[in-house]
Amino acid sequence: MKKLKQFFNGFQKGVKSFGDNISTIINFILLSIVYLIGVGLTSITAKIFGKHFLDMKKKKNSYWVDLNLKNKSIKEYYRKF
Amino acid sequence: MYILGISCYYHDASAALLKDGIILAAATEERFTRKKHDVLFPINAVNYCLRSQNISINDIDYIGFYEKPFLKFERVLSQHLEMFPLSFKTFISSMPSWINEKVRITKTIKKKLKYKKDVFFIEHHLAHAASFLISPFKKAAIVTIDGVGEWTTTAYGIGEENNINLIKEIGFPSSLGLLYSTITAYLGFSVNNSEYKVMGLSPYGLVDRKKNEYYKKIRKVIDIKEDGSYRLDMSYFIYHFADRMPSKKLCKLLGGLVRKPESELTQRHNDIAAALQMIYEEVLFKILNHIHNETKCKNLVLAGGCGLNSVANGKILKNTIFEHFWTQPDPGDGGTSIGAACYVYNTILGNKRKFILNDAFLGPEFSTESIKNFLDKNNIQYSKFKNEKEMIKTTAKLIYDNKVIGWFQGRMEFGPRALGNRSILANPCNPKAKELLNSKVKHREKFRPFAPVVCEDDALKYFDCDKPIPKPTDFMLMVYPIKEELRKKIPSVTHVDGSGRLQTIKKEQNPLYYGLIKEFGKLSGIPILINTSFNVRGEPIVCTPYDAYKCMMGTGIDYLIMDKFLIRRENNQKDMWDSEKYVKEQ
Repeated sequence: MKKLKQFFNGFQKGVKSFGDNISTIINFILLSIVYLIGVGLTSITAKIFGKHFLDMKKKKNSYWVDLNLKNKSIKEYYRKF
Repeated sequence: MYILGISCYYHDASAALLKDGIILAAATEERFTRKKHDVLFPINAVNYCLRSQNISINDIDYIGFYEKPFLKFERVLSQHLEMFPLSFKTFISSMPSWINEKVRITKTIKKKLKYKKDVFFIEHHLAHAASFLISPFKKAAIVTIDGVGEWTTTAYGIGEENNINLIKEIGFPSSLGLLYSTITAYLGFSVNNSEYKVMGLSPYGLVDRKKNEYYKKIRKVIDIKEDGSYRLDMSYFIYHFADRMPSKKLCKLLGGLVRKPESELTQRHNDIAAALQMIYEEVLFKILNHIHNETKCKNLVLAGGCGLNSVANGKILKNTIFEHFWTQPDPGDGGTSIGAACYVYNTILGNKRKFILNDAFLGPEFSTESIKNFLDKNNIQYSKFKNEKEMIKTTAKLIYDNKVIGWFQGRMEFGPRALGNRSILANPCNPKAKELLNSKVKHREKFRPFAPVVCEDDALKYFDCDKPIPKPTDFMLMVYPIKEELRKKIPSVTHVDGSGRLQTIKKEQNPLYYGLIKEFGKLSGIPILINTSFNVRGEPIVCTPYDAYKCMMGTGIDYLIMDKFLIRRENNQKDMWDSEKYVKEQ
């Protein structure tokens, strides 16, 4: 009985490990497609039109930017953005 | 009204519980899971908060979360869009957790906690800034500086009564916190963990700007304006697209490859650390003076991970026009659970402020009975003190005899510092104490200093502190020079530049600890103790009696004083283990 239990525990672990490996491979494939097509095409198109997503190069007299982050209506705090 | 504050998924996940505006409990998840800087959902910390008040999740009226996850996700996606195709590796590694956990936080909270009411999302730097709400000030200038929140890396504004208005910001990728972390990584230390080691290393380097060649070199990396605003030259960094931080160009600028962890530290490394600290202070003081001019406030609240830079904190009042300074015990991300909860109560719901955080003892405590049960159940040899007086006298004598004491009393501290309830105590007059503690107890780098603890009424006799002594000294967040005539008498807590990261303690905060220091003063003539956190390197500070006992049995701690019980390591040889080996294997 003990041996049978050990066998099933081991089997369960093996199946879980197999599942994890499969999901890692599928994640990799899907995310690669999303990255190359979704991110890649958007990035290239944006760069052609001179759009930048991070402010990295501009020299300025001051780097402070207006924020004005203060108390808002309660609805605003329900939002995740 | 109960409000729960939660922070997680970046570093130092934590939870805090507020009842009618008063903080009743707070803890970081790492203390329960024993995984340093644990980032995962703080289920154990939440459960502790609820258990401490005998309430269930149904009693919680609101939950405040410490950031706006979609705004952060927008920034992460922007990084990938800007840096395509260089960001491929980080995209693959980071996206699953974003998709499965981070953007689904409401679902996670409701599922893990079985919570059915409202969740409020507060911008990350607002959650930092909200530490103003538990400060002693009615009005103050607020500065937040950290690695990065959603987009913001540095912000400032004004807090008045219940309201906070952050006026200006500096956005990602320029970040003073990430500059500090990048050099930390370059010096071979772990990011988001060992920045304080670089701070501790800096006094060993050249602190003359003209003579320190690395000062000029690192100045090339950052464009600093007179108003304290700054911009990083991103060609020296790769953190915006890779899972490492310094670029090859930065390595070339600093004259060598990234230092391998545990390899020898040379004068070059010391000089780089010194240059970085000088630049950090230069930017900080410029920011603060600019903010003072803008806000005309005499009070300052500093928050964000950079608020842990106690060397710079100790110089703020001397180098700026501010008269009073405050930061909470955990100005980093761990403290944002407190900030989020307070912001919900005071600002969103508009309730008056009625609480000032005077001490950091917000964590779990264990009754005398439960500790006795633990000792008996595990056949641990111990003796019991008759009363507190005997306990104080015996402990002070042991410390005076150069014994190392594990001190486990009352409620665990909130924040990264042990402040006298989960501390290792030793004699600062013993010239060998630093070496002994570093090698046999903490197993950490030789250069790292130990902190002195002194009763507040004695602090000005021994330290060149600001007057009046700023409250953050209670949280061990200010470094001050030790009086010159005393430095040789307490060598183990005197850093190479004659400074000490002191903790001050008031009688009303912790009478037992206060009494112990005073008693030691009667024996030695100097009422100061070494106070270092009760852990070994790489482990979180101990939380439970088991953690404390285990830590003692693996290190050179001679005695453990746990509540009213005295446990001697030598009497319990069966439980000894080799923590030095454990640290090496980590």
